[in-house]
Amino acid sequence: MATLSLVCGYVICVLIGLLGVFVLWRIADGSIDLSRLISEPNGDASMSRFQFLVFTFVVALSLFLVIVSAPNHPTFPNVPATILSLLGISGSSYLVSKGIQFSDPAGIDDRGVDVNITPVKAIVHFGQTQQFQADVPRKPGSPVKWEVIAGPGNIDAKGLYTAPAAAAAPAGGAAATTALHATIQVTSDEYPDAFDLAVVTLV
Amino acid sequence: MFDLQKLMEWEILTFLLALAGLVVVQLLTGAINTNGFFCGRVSGRRRGEDQYFSPERVQLLVFTLGAASHYVSQVLTNLHPGTFPPMPEGWLAVVGGSNAIYLGGKTYARWFANGSSK
Repeated sequence: MATLSLVCGYVICVLIGLLGVFVLWRIADGSIDLSRLISEPNGDASMSRFQFLVFTFVVALSLFLVIVSAPNHPTFPNVPATILSLLGISGSSYLVSKGIQFSDPAGIDDRGVDVNITPVKAIVHFGQTQQFQADVPRKPGSPVKWEVIAGPGNIDAKGLYTAPAAAAAPAGGAAATTALHATIQVTSDEYPDAFDLAVVTLV
Repeated sequence: MFDLQKLMEWEILTFLLALAGLVVVQLLTGAINTNGFFCGRVSGRRRGEDQYFSPERVQLLVFTLGAASHYVSQVLTNLHPGTFPPMPEGWLAVVGGSNAIYLGGKTYARWFANGSSK
């Protein structure tokens, strides 16, 4: 019977370990998305949520360390009133904070996702290249799509714009004397409604 | 043969620390959204003009991390194994005061900063 209990204990231990590794692995590869862990419905990060997260984790870790450090055998300890007060302060502050925020409709509206392109204007010589950068502040490093939506030139998947070798001759055969323009659009893959534009002047 | 209790202890401790590490790394790299973390919003102003740098959030962050690290250090150096070390009441007052300042700033931005109280 003792052997069976021991075997069951090891099996449970291994299963819990595998579950833990699975969860950590899914978080690390992004399958479990924590990107809005401390975010409000409107997309802003919240200090109240962050404080709640920190204190909850500290109490959870402390509880575990206290239980396993019991001298004879693990027992559930009495939680001091000061610890409960700390959690109470944090929780109450969070609730009041949300009450203030949600009293204003603008505090709830999702502000949408921004994509910022740099530079927004560029002067490029024919045959030359210009590197553009895109930033998605809500989710840095998230994939974006680059396009030339108007004008000449090409842009690759990394935002490198290549101007045509020479100005196309306008109708009538005269050489081009005025500057040409191209418009670059970058769009977030994850948020297709979020995009930004840049204008290239070809000289 | 490993001691089953020790194995379980290390397993859970490793999980908790790895989880905390992942969250910290994702916070620092921006994978967890921190947009507007130190910014408050003034009600009634146009979008784009309503954000302001918020010192009350900075002080709340400092005192939150201070209280958390102080308590974890107390747990790690606990002289009475098996019991929670008490949180000094001074720290409770500090955390409570810090939260009051934060809420005060938020209240001001919501109802008074724009000169309206709708």
